[in-house]
Amino acid sequence: MIRKTVLYLLLASGAVLTTFPFLWMVTTAFKTLPEAMSPSISLLPQQWQWYNFVETFHAAPFARYFYNSFLVAAVVTTCVILSSLMAGYTFARLDFPGKGVLFGVILATMMVPFEITLIPNFVIIKKLGWYNTYAALIVPWCANAFSIFLMRQGFLGVPGDYFDAAKVDGCGHLRFLAWIAAPLVKPTIITVGLFAFLGSYNALVWPLVITSEDEMRVVQVGLTFFWGAEGVRVNLLMCAATIVILPTVALYSIAQRHFLEGSLGAGIKG
Amino acid sequence: MKLKSACGLILCFLAALTGCAGPIEETVTGGTPAALRTFQPINPDAAVFWDRQTTETRQLLLQLADEFNRLHPDLPIKVEHSGGYTEINRKVAASIQAGALPSMAVAYESMTAEYVQAGAVAALDEFTRDPQRGLSAADLADFFPAVLETNRYSEFEGKMYSFPFCKSALMMYFNKRVLADAGFSQPPNTWDEFLEQCRQVKEKTGKFACALNVDCSTVDGMIYSMGGELVKDHATLFDSLEAMRVFELIETLVREKLAYQITRDSYDDESALAQDQIAFLFRSSSGRTSIARLMQGDMQRWGMTRIPQADPADPRTVLYGPNIVIFNTTPDQQRAAWEFVKFFTSPEIGVRWALGTGYIPIRRSAAQHPDVQAFWNEWEYNRAAFDCLAFARSEPNFAGWQEVRELVHDAETAILTGMKNARAAATELKQAADQVLSARHARSTR
Amino acid sequence: MDEVLERTRSRAVRDGAIAAVLLAPSLAVLGVFGITPILGAVYLSLFDTHFGAGPFVGVGNYAKALTEEDFWKSFLVTFYYSVGTIPVGLVLSFAVALALFRILRARGLFRTMYFLPYVTSAVAAATVWRVLLHPQIGLTNLVLQWLGADPMQWLLEPRGVLYFLTDGRIPPTIGPSLSLCCVMLFDIWHASGFMIVIFLAGLTALPRQLEEAARIDGAGGAQVVWNVTLPLLSPTIFFLTVVSAIRSFQAFNSFFALTGDGRGPLNTTRNLTVYIYSSFYQFGYEGYGAALAALSSLAIVTMTIVQWRFAGRRVFYE
Repeated sequence: MIRKTVLYLLLASGAVLTTFPFLWMVTTAFKTLPEAMSPSISLLPQQWQWYNFVETFHAAPFARYFYNSFLVAAVVTTCVILSSLMAGYTFARLDFPGKGVLFGVILATMMVPFEITLIPNFVIIKKLGWYNTYAALIVPWCANAFSIFLMRQGFLGVPGDYFDAAKVDGCGHLRFLAWIAAPLVKPTIITVGLFAFLGSYNALVWPLVITSEDEMRVVQVGLTFFWGAEGVRVNLLMCAATIVILPTVALYSIAQRHFLEGSLGAGIKG
Repeated sequence: MKLKSACGLILCFLAALTGCAGPIEETVTGGTPAALRTFQPINPDAAVFWDRQTTETRQLLLQLADEFNRLHPDLPIKVEHSGGYTEINRKVAASIQAGALPSMAVAYESMTAEYVQAGAVAALDEFTRDPQRGLSAADLADFFPAVLETNRYSEFEGKMYSFPFCKSALMMYFNKRVLADAGFSQPPNTWDEFLEQCRQVKEKTGKFACALNVDCSTVDGMIYSMGGELVKDHATLFDSLEAMRVFELIETLVREKLAYQITRDSYDDESALAQDQIAFLFRSSSGRTSIARLMQGDMQRWGMTRIPQADPADPRTVLYGPNIVIFNTTPDQQRAAWEFVKFFTSPEIGVRWALGTGYIPIRRSAAQHPDVQAFWNEWEYNRAAFDCLAFARSEPNFAGWQEVRELVHDAETAILTGMKNARAAATELKQAADQVLSARHARSTR
Repeated sequence: MDEVLERTRSRAVRDGAIAAVLLAPSLAVLGVFGITPILGAVYLSLFDTHFGAGPFVGVGNYAKALTEEDFWKSFLVTFYYSVGTIPVGLVLSFAVALALFRILRARGLFRTMYFLPYVTSAVAAATVWRVLLHPQIGLTNLVLQWLGADPMQWLLEPRGVLYFLTDGRIPPTIGPSLSLCCVMLFDIWHASGFMIVIFLAGLTALPRQLEEAARIDGAGGAQVVWNVTLPLLSPTIFFLTVVSAIRSFQAFNSFFALTGDGRGPLNTTRNLTVYIYSSFYQFGYEGYGAALAALSSLAIVTMTIVQWRFAGRRVFYE
């Protein structure tokens, strides 16, 4: 009993420490400017200034940024799930010549710093005529090595009997994948989807370079610009950070129930 | 077998694509502007202008662009807020490589020099001299020489590659309440007085006297004000007597705990001034609006004046502010861009811009306008920045200076954190900076 | 015999065709936007370009990088960062995951709280941290003063953390700077949620019988963890190490968002990625930046292969 209590106490203090910056962010967002700028230990504002949020939305077109971010992230997430389901299944369950090499090449794309592929990618986007379009924000991120890897591990984690029992061949593979195999790796799908969403929603450098007009901006770029424009107003800055973080927190709270148990852990074993 | 040939096909496809992602194989020959390259406009239906103005000044700029578009319906101007200078520089760099650029963008001289060397910038001389679309001799004479001259790049045959856009000067802002607590009614006039006042502030109030924003332009302005120069024949003068006095002053300020360093890219010094936590800060005159807002309209509590001097009879300071560059896109885009620049710098618009933003009027006729005069009389310090125009000078405008700026930041940081003493920092700075400049020189004459 | 062979072969062909269909979307995207740009960057690294133009120099850029002090300095920063974040992150996350695994009530709530930093963008989180570490108005210095210690410069401090810990007996230029340590702390905070979740998943998947058997044999809690749980979890630990190592070599956003320009005071937080970035965008030396990136990728690939050789096989095929 005592040991359990100690455990809870330790966990709680760790959790408070971890979440403290968020607590501080949210409460500062309600403070008046002078209070936000003066050093003080008190977490709660002396006077709750709700108007800060109105002013933040007024200072930058966050509504538009959110629309763009959600649209882009939703499409990217869907595409990543589909593409990695198909590729992961292939690498886990099919045999074909050059499989190992191909998988290695795909993994290699993970190991190159993103910054350096940016300019060649910019050139390609320009050649395709996609500059400053949703296509440029979406298509390059519709497949990635990490998701394929996770999904492959997910399929490897499913006992081989399931596959043998189904005796798949020919076009049967596709139907098998859609109706039997995919539901078996649902936790992996949710994991891949969540990471894809976070990756897309939190991306900064690519959307900054590839968009030119305010109507195409996403929230992270908006937040960076807001920092430049309103950096001196700490309370508004915290407001902006709060509203930018909110959707991902909400999404995770919804997804976490399905996100974890079982297959992810098993999947990581080879 | 099918798979193998498919792989082969993919490889061929990749190889073909790689070809278009490679660099442009032409050597930039030095001394002259680079082999001109033409770029696709990023938006063929509008002359896009990448700018960094925010909040109220952005609204005014958009409004001016609207007015311009009503007068010139053929190719509309589109002002796109593209972040701060860092973001804009990054976007331009990427876009130069991708072969597509906006019509125009804001840029500092040192950035412009880099873009010119890449062959991306249109020389404006043919526009200014054009009998129909150009500027008359009277027009040109109406600009203050300092704001115009900095846009001629001696490295590139003295041609004009940018045009003045937002001009400001390095100023000293002071908090009257803190100064009064320390027993002063006037801000310092010389650097000796400045140091004395800082010591008194520390002694009488226990506060820091000054918040320092690590910034090359501020150091440059201080060196100017000590009577020094920055470069001579492509070698820097950071070990000169005047520069050394600046570095030693910074050393003294931090050693005696009279000043502290603020986070880079932050405006913490402005909020500290507004909170009566410090007496002085050094910023561009364009900071007036944001400080006024932080002071919540209490204009009696603070002021702004030229930076202290070695010789008040012969004052110097640094001239700030970005210019507009017009890129080598299509003739239509360039024409529209130039028309806009002309419109924007016309006396009437210049007056509205100066009044709306607090930037210095760049033309004599704008400065004489009754509205501007009235603005100057509104608050005793409103004229201070303009008064600096007579003696303010820009920083060096040749390629490589952008890299030198970072070295100056490092030298200042080293002094502020006690990693180096002023003398060592200055000597090493000069060596490193000269090395950068000579490497750049070698590159451009190769 | 022939018939069997024939059937296997035709099945392989059919599998190949199916594989081609299933892989097409991923290969199209990764081919055009993943692999092509890499080849493009390697090609670019053979030119000494500046803002898009410059002559062919062969391996000149590589030679320059390897003989340049700045390259090795940024390599060292990357190294400090990996060594400073991965082990600490692993140990902390494992402890938290183990504790979470042992409790029944409020597990979901705690898990969400610990995972929270990971779901937030580096830009937004760094905004908060910058204010918390602010030398004048920040909470950290307020606490220090309350404890009677001198305030610190935190993210602005280029002097080594060892210098402070030893009261100046170690020169300030030795070891990681305080500024770099702040970035590391931020990263541990930001990434531990990911590790905790993966550890929890690993723990959930473990066969319970082994632990119970050990317990029945009279092993204490710590012994069970050390002798049974950890070895069983080695695939998870290995996976996290490999992924974190790659991630720490490519770390950029936290550096950039925390220090403003990534390189920090006196370049003490300039890791390889920041160095690549500044060569590339800030100063426009694209060819050189591409060569740096190629070297960095080479280091990552080598590191991953070494990890695999030394630990991977043992862990996976026990």
